[in-house]
Amino acid sequence: MTLIADRPGPGAARPYRFPPVVRRAVAGGQVVAAHLPGQNLAVALLLLEAGAGREPNGKEGLGGVLAKALEEGTAQRDATAYALAIEALGTELVTGLDWDSFQVSVQVPVDRLTAAVQLLAEAVRTPRLDPADVQRVRDDEATALRMDWANPGPRADAALRADLFGAQNRWGRPMYGDPESVAGLDVEDVTVFHSEWFLRPGTLVVAGDLDRIDLDALASAAFAGTGGGPADRGGPIEVSLHTERRIILVDRPGSVQSTLRLGHPSPHRAHPDHVPMTLAGTVLGGAFTSRLNHLIREVRGYTYGIRGEFASSRRFGRFAVSSGVQTAVTAPALIEAVGEITRTQAGGVTEDELAVARAWRAGQLSVELQSPRAIASALTTLVVHDLPDDYHARLREALLAADVREVSEAAATHLHPEALTLVIEGDAAVIRDELQAANLGALLPWPPLPR
Amino acid sequence: MPDSGYPWPIETSRLDNGLRVVVSEDRTAPAVAVNLWYDVGSRHEPAGQTGFAHLFEHLMFEGSVNVAKTEHMKLIQGSGGSLNATTNPDRTNYFETVPAEHLELALWLEADRMGGLVPALTQETLDNQREVVKNERRQRYENVPYGDALLRLLPLLYPPGHPYHHSTIGSMADLNAADLATFQAFHETYYVPNNAVLTVVGDAPAAEVFALADKYFGALPARDDIPPAPDGRSVPATGQPAVQTVTADVPAPRVYVAHRGHPFGSPGYDVLTVLATVLGSGRGSRLYQRLADGERIAQPDLVGAYGVDLAHAPAPLIATATARPGVSAERLAEGLAEVVDELATVPVTAAELDRAKALLSTAWWRQMSTVDGRADTLGRYATQFGDPARAGDRLPAWLAVTAEQIAEVAAEVLGAADRVTLTYVPEETA
Repeated sequence: MTLIADRPGPGAARPYRFPPVVRRAVAGGQVVAAHLPGQNLAVALLLLEAGAGREPNGKEGLGGVLAKALEEGTAQRDATAYALAIEALGTELVTGLDWDSFQVSVQVPVDRLTAAVQLLAEAVRTPRLDPADVQRVRDDEATALRMDWANPGPRADAALRADLFGAQNRWGRPMYGDPESVAGLDVEDVTVFHSEWFLRPGTLVVAGDLDRIDLDALASAAFAGTGGGPADRGGPIEVSLHTERRIILVDRPGSVQSTLRLGHPSPHRAHPDHVPMTLAGTVLGGAFTSRLNHLIREVRGYTYGIRGEFASSRRFGRFAVSSGVQTAVTAPALIEAVGEITRTQAGGVTEDELAVARAWRAGQLSVELQSPRAIASALTTLVVHDLPDDYHARLREALLAADVREVSEAAATHLHPEALTLVIEGDAAVIRDELQAANLGALLPWPPLPR
Repeated sequence: MPDSGYPWPIETSRLDNGLRVVVSEDRTAPAVAVNLWYDVGSRHEPAGQTGFAHLFEHLMFEGSVNVAKTEHMKLIQGSGGSLNATTNPDRTNYFETVPAEHLELALWLEADRMGGLVPALTQETLDNQREVVKNERRQRYENVPYGDALLRLLPLLYPPGHPYHHSTIGSMADLNAADLATFQAFHETYYVPNNAVLTVVGDAPAAEVFALADKYFGALPARDDIPPAPDGRSVPATGQPAVQTVTADVPAPRVYVAHRGHPFGSPGYDVLTVLATVLGSGRGSRLYQRLADGERIAQPDLVGAYGVDLAHAPAPLIATATARPGVSAERLAEGLAEVVDELATVPVTAAELDRAKALLSTAWWRQMSTVDGRADTLGRYATQFGDPARAGDRLPAWLAVTAEQIAEVAAEVLGAADRVTLTYVPEETA
């Protein structure tokens, strides 16, 4: 035999280290930086308290339109000159939005970082916001969302979110808005949102070789001309569970797959069960080796992949499973998925499964935290959730220490198979009858009937 | 200008059975990337077996002599690692990044599936993964608007029999016809040490890696009659533009313009890389400035141009735009063709060139910022050009490209007579 049959054990473990974190208050704002010695590339990211959660009801998508409008010219130069100036440094302006924050960042070779941050600040703090440009950007964004919504997924996501959180609430509507809400925005919505939320200093996150970076100069540029105090973040939102499982069918005529989105509300990010919940979610659906993917993909062959996990923001969270399955096996796939969630809630996890889940989650804290972009993202977690510098090291220890009892308890407490909303985006004419016959829950009318 | 785009050490070795081993030590993070490039891809597939190289890639995760079905994933994830594999026309790569103390496990797993896959391969596994791949095809190509664009472009760019004529995902009919014996033979033919490059980057010294490679892979037999893929280096120009219009369930008209350029790794491809960036990357690009901002006929987020970095034949260069509401496919196609045509006639300015080179520099260093990014790059250069150190040449070569070279190459390969145009038109306006 030419192969070695014995599986080797691990060598000596290297100590875990997250890069040293530097925090500084400069020019009215906060700087949070990580030192990456020898790294040629650097990332600077301005984090503002201007997430989708700040958008008024009916104005969903405002942040996305403003993000694009920032690049339509500044007090100093027009849109083309701005694009050429920032791209000549080797970066584009990258904007991002989640429920808690708005972020805008640059990624450049380290010697160009100061110039790039100056241009970033120019766009964020002094955009031209010419009404004609804002209207055009709004129309383009509405078109872009229509394009996106032609793909399977966004409509199912919206249906699930509305059913879990209520479409009358901002957090019950799509994070990026929908084509109609964006089309309905006007210029004043955008300029008011900017003056309200984009002129506060915020936090500048930096990841790079700090020996070659002048943090004070970056901060002076990022915070120049800003004012206004910290904004009230609001407390966790109480969301009640449905009393019975229900099905929503979103029609996609001719679809060769059914897009599945299964979910229910779950705790917010600061909940004390965060670590055991994460691990329970990992065993159930968070990794390739998880129960759902093993059964639905590796045993049944129904799908290219299925994932499920708990996700949370400051004020709310949700457990959700997503997949695309061949149309002909829609009902069997749903029955198996609900069955696996039910089994996990009732029976908990095994030590064998948990060993993989905790090692994987812990290992990812070094394997996936290498690039300046990834480190900057880890720093934003510290800022958004008020976590200490050694958070990642502590998280690693907490993951490795979690035992079967507490993870099984988290599964029992925070999984609610009987309260799931099952959204299926697929060919209704083909799958409606078998969904009704599957006995998984009542089929709700969709879109909802007017009250 | 940097002398090299790869300022880390590179050490290489070759085992007696022909396995090339590349090591680049970097102790910055306690992680190590293991990457295997097998010099086999969809270009090796004969007619009737399209999609087989990729389906085979799936089978490599389903167990081998000493590794039970699904255990590969479990062992890597259970060590804290990330893993995946990809197949393209040129090659198949397998990779995992693990905390450094699990290097030996990763090498053992890779050796076991290089040397011991066939005895573990069952009909049940093949049938299961065939269904998974068919669902991958549905999810990525069939169930999304424009998802089949590349499937349509390749046969328009390359004639029947050319190794790039068919897509890597393959046809449903061929996938349905796949039989076990074919895959057993596929492994015995191509998954041999002298057809692979093993690259290890990160927290591991070269001497240790060489010793472990020899321990786990050293006894695997070489094969000296690996059949080459059909030669596709020379693709005769047809002198006739190829035009295809598809009426489909898409939300807006979209146009793709494609040309056969130069093979990846050649000086011409470097010029085309810079050209594509001038043409289609960022808001300062010509496509954005002319079609999205200037004439405002294209949606701003959906203009772009890129090369497909294939090394064994003139590689595709693709430019695309999607119509703003009220703009016809014809109007958009004219506008797109005009901007592409001007690459040969309107000289690229110093500002355009500097912008493109700055964006490419960042893209290069981003790829180099992780051990897995570096490992894949070194594996590529060792496999396709015989020397991993040639990776260091790429960035300096991009930075040396001139405006004159761009105009020359544009005139050479982007001519309208040798152009492929693929247009999607929404059903309701057809």
